[in-house]
Amino acid sequence: MTGPAVHKDIDESEQLRRLLGAVALGDRGAFRTLYDASSARLYGCALRVLRQEALAEEALQDAFVAIWHAASTYQPHLAAPATWMTTIVRNKALDVRRRQQASVESDGEQYADEMSMDSLAMMQEAASGPQEHMQMSRDAQALARCLETLAGRQRQAICMAYLYDLSHTEVAAQLDAPLGTVKTWIRRGLERLRACLTTQEAA
Amino acid sequence: MNIRDNPVLREKLAAEYALGTLRGGARRRFETWLRGDAALRAAVAAWQGRVAPLAELGSAVPAPARAWDGIERRLGFAAAPSRPAARAPWWRFWQFDGARPWAGIAFGAIAAALVLAVLLFARAPGMIDAGLPQQVAALSDAQAHTALVVSADARRNRLEVRVARDLRVPDDRTLQLWAIDRAGKPRSLGILPDNRRADLALDARAIGPDVALLAISLEPKGGSPDPNGPTGPVLYKGAWTTL
Repeated sequence: MTGPAVHKDIDESEQLRRLLGAVALGDRGAFRTLYDASSARLYGCALRVLRQEALAEEALQDAFVAIWHAASTYQPHLAAPATWMTTIVRNKALDVRRRQQASVESDGEQYADEMSMDSLAMMQEAASGPQEHMQMSRDAQALARCLETLAGRQRQAICMAYLYDLSHTEVAAQLDAPLGTVKTWIRRGLERLRACLTTQEAA
Repeated sequence: MNIRDNPVLREKLAAEYALGTLRGGARRRFETWLRGDAALRAAVAAWQGRVAPLAELGSAVPAPARAWDGIERRLGFAAAPSRPAARAPWWRFWQFDGARPWAGIAFGAIAAALVLAVLLFARAPGMIDAGLPQQVAALSDAQAHTALVVSADARRNRLEVRVARDLRVPDDRTLQLWAIDRAGKPRSLGILPDNRRADLALDARAIGPDVALLAISLEPKGGSPDPNGPTGPVLYKGAWTTL
């Protein structure tokens, strides 16, 4: 990581923090600026979870309505603004997904899961491009570097479980691997992530 | 089962709880432990901090242009320009959404008038000795719209804050006033108990010659937890001018 990149990242985080502060005071102009600065990242996240543009758009709108109402509860010392907003859009996308599953199943059909390896590949490749790094919080950049150190299956199982909010059994079914093996991948992968992130923090 | 003495298991469960893979009965049992175990809650919070950025990984994709219209509509913003008069009395023209450009001019004019009034007052014969306001600042937001005017009254030892535009401060937040010296170091001058005006004790430090700027930050109720400076965003600032 070069010096200027770190500075730009801190500036961007600071900018989002200020905008959230102004949004908390009901500033609609700041809300629009916040939307312009972050909607592409949040829409990208919603699209990875939902795979359909119309559904991702719905999740994005749900997320920004929630951000407008919850901006005053944002606590800067707990999470970077980008992480806070992405967590909101992920939760909204998962809600949309559950509603979708419920409505399809009530029609007596089996829900065809739209989960895809493309989304996971996109997440995993995020670690490689410097351009993508510029778009992420510092925590996400550190996480991306640490994910690189995991074995492929460990990384895939962890990303999949979080992105789609899956149980061990569901991950095992998706990866066509024995349940015990998947549990071990996730457990070892998480242990390794923690060790790597702790080293990075110290550095 | 007691997990207090099993650090490896505690860590494993906290991690899987945060990741979302801990399910069913195991999850419910873990949640009952969480209620009585602050250290376990801290472990979960640390893990949530580690896994939450997973959602940030991946490319940005521009959202369709119509997505914003839907957000405005759902928040009730979009209806405003068509019926501005219904939303604000005519004399509060700066609140009309269609009159945005006027807002800056209006606030600027109000601030200029206030500063001028203070100046005239201070320059009136016989008044200077009485020690009427000697220092003023007009604090503006990032778009240069003046939001507050602060003046010092050395005779009464008061610092007066007047709010020039309606500020909506959430119930659990408060605005805090800071003096920033030439080296950029902030000192708290107090919190604003109400959002219209405030009359604060004038701290001798505030009036010191090294103060360059006054600023307002948004803080948790009770003020910044850090005595050395703001923890929340700085929303307004302006030069501290000696008359």
